[in-house]
Amino acid sequence: MSADELTRHQEAFAAEAAEVRDRADWEALRVRWIGRKQGIVRSLLAQLKDVPKEEKRDFGQGVNRLKGTVEARLAELDEELSRTERSLAQEAAAVDVTLPGRHPHLGTLHPVNLVTQHIVDIFIGLGYSVAEGPEVEDDFHNFEALNFPQDHPARDTQDTLFLEDGRLLRTHTSPVQIRTMLKRQPPIRVICPGRVYRHDNDLRHSPMFHQVEGLAVGEGISLGDLKGTLEAFIHRLFSPDTGVRLRPSYFPFTEPSAEVDITCPFCRGDGCQTCSGTGWMEILGAGMVDPRVLENCNIDPSIYSGFAFGLGIDRVAMIRYGIPNIRMLFDNDERLLHQVRI
Amino acid sequence: MEFSFDWICQYVDPEEEASAVAERLTAAGLAVEGQEVRQGDVIFDVDVTTNRPDCMNHLGLAREVSALTGKTLTSPDTDILEVEQRTADVAEVELQDATGCPRYVARVIRGVEVGPSPEWLVKRLASIGQRSINNIVDISNFVLWELGQPIHAFDLQKLSRAKILVRRAREGERLVTLDGEDRELDPEILVIADAEKAVALAGIMGGLDSEVTESSADILIESAHFDPTRIRLGAGLLGIHTDANHRFERGADPEVCRLAADRVTSLVAEIAGGQVLAGAVDVRNSSLDWQLAGQLDLRRASTFGGVELDGEQAVGWLEGIGFEMEAESAGVWQVGVPSWRYYDMRPDPTRPAGEPQPAVFEADLFEEVLRLHGFDSISSTLPDVGGPDAGSSAGHWRREGVRRHLAICGYTEAVTFSFYDAEAESRFPGIGRQGTPLLLANPISELYTVMQRSLLPGLLEAAEFNLRRGAGSVRLFEIGHLFPGQDCEELEAVALVAGGGMGTAWDRHRDYDLFDLKGAVESLAARFGLELRFRPADLAGFVAGTGAEILAGDSDSAVGYLGQLAHEDAAVPLFAAELRTDLCQPGAVQAVELPSRFPAVEVDLTLTHAESTAWADLADEIEAAAVQDLVEFGLEVRYVGEGVPAGAVNTTLYFLYNAADRSLTQEEVNERHEAVRHRLADRFGWKGST
Ligand SMILES: [Zn+2]
Repeated sequence: MSADELTRHQEAFAAEAAEVRDRADWEALRVRWIGRKQGIVRSLLAQLKDVPKEEKRDFGQGVNRLKGTVEARLAELDEELSRTERSLAQEAAAVDVTLPGRHPHLGTLHPVNLVTQHIVDIFIGLGYSVAEGPEVEDDFHNFEALNFPQDHPARDTQDTLFLEDGRLLRTHTSPVQIRTMLKRQPPIRVICPGRVYRHDNDLRHSPMFHQVEGLAVGEGISLGDLKGTLEAFIHRLFSPDTGVRLRPSYFPFTEPSAEVDITCPFCRGDGCQTCSGTGWMEILGAGMVDPRVLENCNIDPSIYSGFAFGLGIDRVAMIRYGIPNIRMLFDNDERLLHQVRI
Repeated sequence: MEFSFDWICQYVDPEEEASAVAERLTAAGLAVEGQEVRQGDVIFDVDVTTNRPDCMNHLGLAREVSALTGKTLTSPDTDILEVEQRTADVAEVELQDATGCPRYVARVIRGVEVGPSPEWLVKRLASIGQRSINNIVDISNFVLWELGQPIHAFDLQKLSRAKILVRRAREGERLVTLDGEDRELDPEILVIADAEKAVALAGIMGGLDSEVTESSADILIESAHFDPTRIRLGAGLLGIHTDANHRFERGADPEVCRLAADRVTSLVAEIAGGQVLAGAVDVRNSSLDWQLAGQLDLRRASTFGGVELDGEQAVGWLEGIGFEMEAESAGVWQVGVPSWRYYDMRPDPTRPAGEPQPAVFEADLFEEVLRLHGFDSISSTLPDVGGPDAGSSAGHWRREGVRRHLAICGYTEAVTFSFYDAEAESRFPGIGRQGTPLLLANPISELYTVMQRSLLPGLLEAAEFNLRRGAGSVRLFEIGHLFPGQDCEELEAVALVAGGGMGTAWDRHRDYDLFDLKGAVESLAARFGLELRFRPADLAGFVAGTGAEILAGDSDSAVGYLGQLAHEDAAVPLFAAELRTDLCQPGAVQAVELPSRFPAVEVDLTLTHAESTAWADLADEIEAAAVQDLVEFGLEVRYVGEGVPAGAVNTTLYFLYNAADRSLTQEEVNERHEAVRHRLADRFGWKGST
């Protein structure tokens, strides 16, 4: 094939290729030029046998060059067509992926019960079991056994709600400790969460609130064990760098008794409005179980000792979720509750 | 309670700033909650706990400061120049109730000049907010705040036959007290009487008639000990709270009577003049005593405290606060308890005061050593009691399961009060009600008078609260105790209140209905392997025809109920359920049924039947047929309308056939399915209205 002929074929192909608009055009072009049966390239090759011997080599090379040009251009066109096809398909199925997703409607647990469960989990991890009891109690379990003698001023601090039948609404979950000790001999380690009641109703007090109390009784249990347990607990409940301070105090059912302060979670101890500038926040009451209480529960105080502690769960929930008023916990406003995630 | 730092320093020189002393007191359990500089003095606001009446006075606090700083404590001066005439010659004391008043000390000063107090006395009292009245009253008040002993001064001339009789008030007896109130007394109340009548409320408040006035010349000083329980009872009956009964109720020092009487007398002689009669009339109930003793083993104290205690230090501290220490063996002491700690340390507070007591608990002594040592340096350890306790309880496990299940189902947990008003009590059926409800004797308000026998009133109120605030829907649940009646155990129940549509059209908004509620209840039961049945019932508070009792297992008594609330005001229809949770027991662990590896075949069936035919009857019939390879069936569509005869309904069910060991052929499925179709058509098929 002469150089002229080759150029002519190549120009013809280029002109035809420029006209390809869609997949059908492309397929027609392909068949016309390199189709197995009647393709131009093939028919040129078929002519090879009639070409004079001395021209055979040039002719063959020319056809091969033409074939190479055609194949390369067809591949290019194929790629272009595929791109166009893909974008057309995409256009057809396009959605606005920024539209809002449809959320399943999630329920939530009450903040007080979330905190309760957190506390219970911590103590189960420390080897405790959960103990529960009735909310209507008698004088013995709520007061007498806890070393609140009849007609003692210590009872004044309890603001008790009484029932007409002479019983009362438990003022703390300590009666559960009494019930546990009356049922079992040491070693005992229990955590007692639950609702408690007081004759108290203002912005800072609710007649019903929640408490969790813990009790450990065994041989050789010390004030150091109480301190270590409270530290382990508070570090898990708040944060590992929370400071814990015990101050001697008085409760009828423990001796020695202690008020337990933690470094203020809001200012981390620097002093702020919430902690009245002290950097500390009173959060727990605790102490070594009074020997009179052990005796009331048939546990020998000369062999066994123990510690007990209690804290208000509502208060922790208020601190944790930034709820300023205890009554807001019991409004059950779903707009508030839904922000508390499990 | 307010204390003057300057006054404390009258008895001990701490050689420290007030703030340093305040810190020491706080660390030892006498929390100084405030310090205020007033006229060159620092006033401490101390939270003295009820067990420490001995620290409700300046000498008591000074004693603590002395022990904490190691500085010497100086007791107040009681030097008296007496005349020859004896007190016993002019006054007589008789203890008719020697339990209520085990000790009475009287002193007499004649010819005093009642008038204004000297400046130092006025200033002392003013520093802690006490008003000056006259020199005699002020001296009594001063000694109360100095020694903690309440003192009363009588005008001797006004006491009939100069007699003091401590007795119970007579039925209907009256007394006009110092505050001008004419009070009717009760035999439970202890009084000081003269030969004729009551002249004072013992340990609480004096009488107006026998009061010391400007014209009084001869006075009788009372320094007595009264039984805490007796005083508390009387003050409670009369509704009086004074500095005197505050101290007697908590337990005054039974042995300070004479010292306090002498102190008052010496101050009266110094300030108001007059002649002090010799000696005192000191009458006591000799069968009572106030001695307590115990043993302190330092090694045991160290173990108990989790701290290494030093013997010499411990003895120093205890002696500093008045304990008598007698070494018994190495590290062991016999300890005598000072009388001012009697009421705090007696081992058995249920025995009448002054009766014999066993040895004091060593923990009481440990407490003293440990609080003076301070809690800061105690090391932190964990109890070493060998192995864990039992872990979560069944009740707790169950409740958490119920709680989490309902939250996952989209319900929000509420917490409401456990009491409601009388009207709420009969609004809903409740669960397990027996007889009359539990009523509060001293409710906080009319809204909270009855212990709940249903969770619904509280939960409905929470739902209304949300709807009032513009919520278009509510999904609430609560778990709480019910109080079914007088001799019934508390019952735990769960309640749900829900209604309204969630979200927008984009969210595929759908209105909540009864069967959403029922599904939540059923899924909860299924989680605990519990099968429920629902029996139509007419329920208080529910729309007629929508209510049902919930039955569990084979039992015929209801464990709960549900329906649509009859609640005309609500913005959306509300649905409610209440169910006891104690049925939700952790069942025995069951092996799972492995699903078939072969494909299942689903076939539909439409049955035209009377509207009155219950779904439960259809379902029972299918169950009863025990169709081979039928693994599941359910409701697809209920249709009433064009093409369905009046009085009838088209119910389309789906049936899922699947064999464990092979693929079922179409013929096999058809054969099984035709049998069901015939069975249902025969029994329930529409045969025209009748
Ligand atoms: Zn702070």
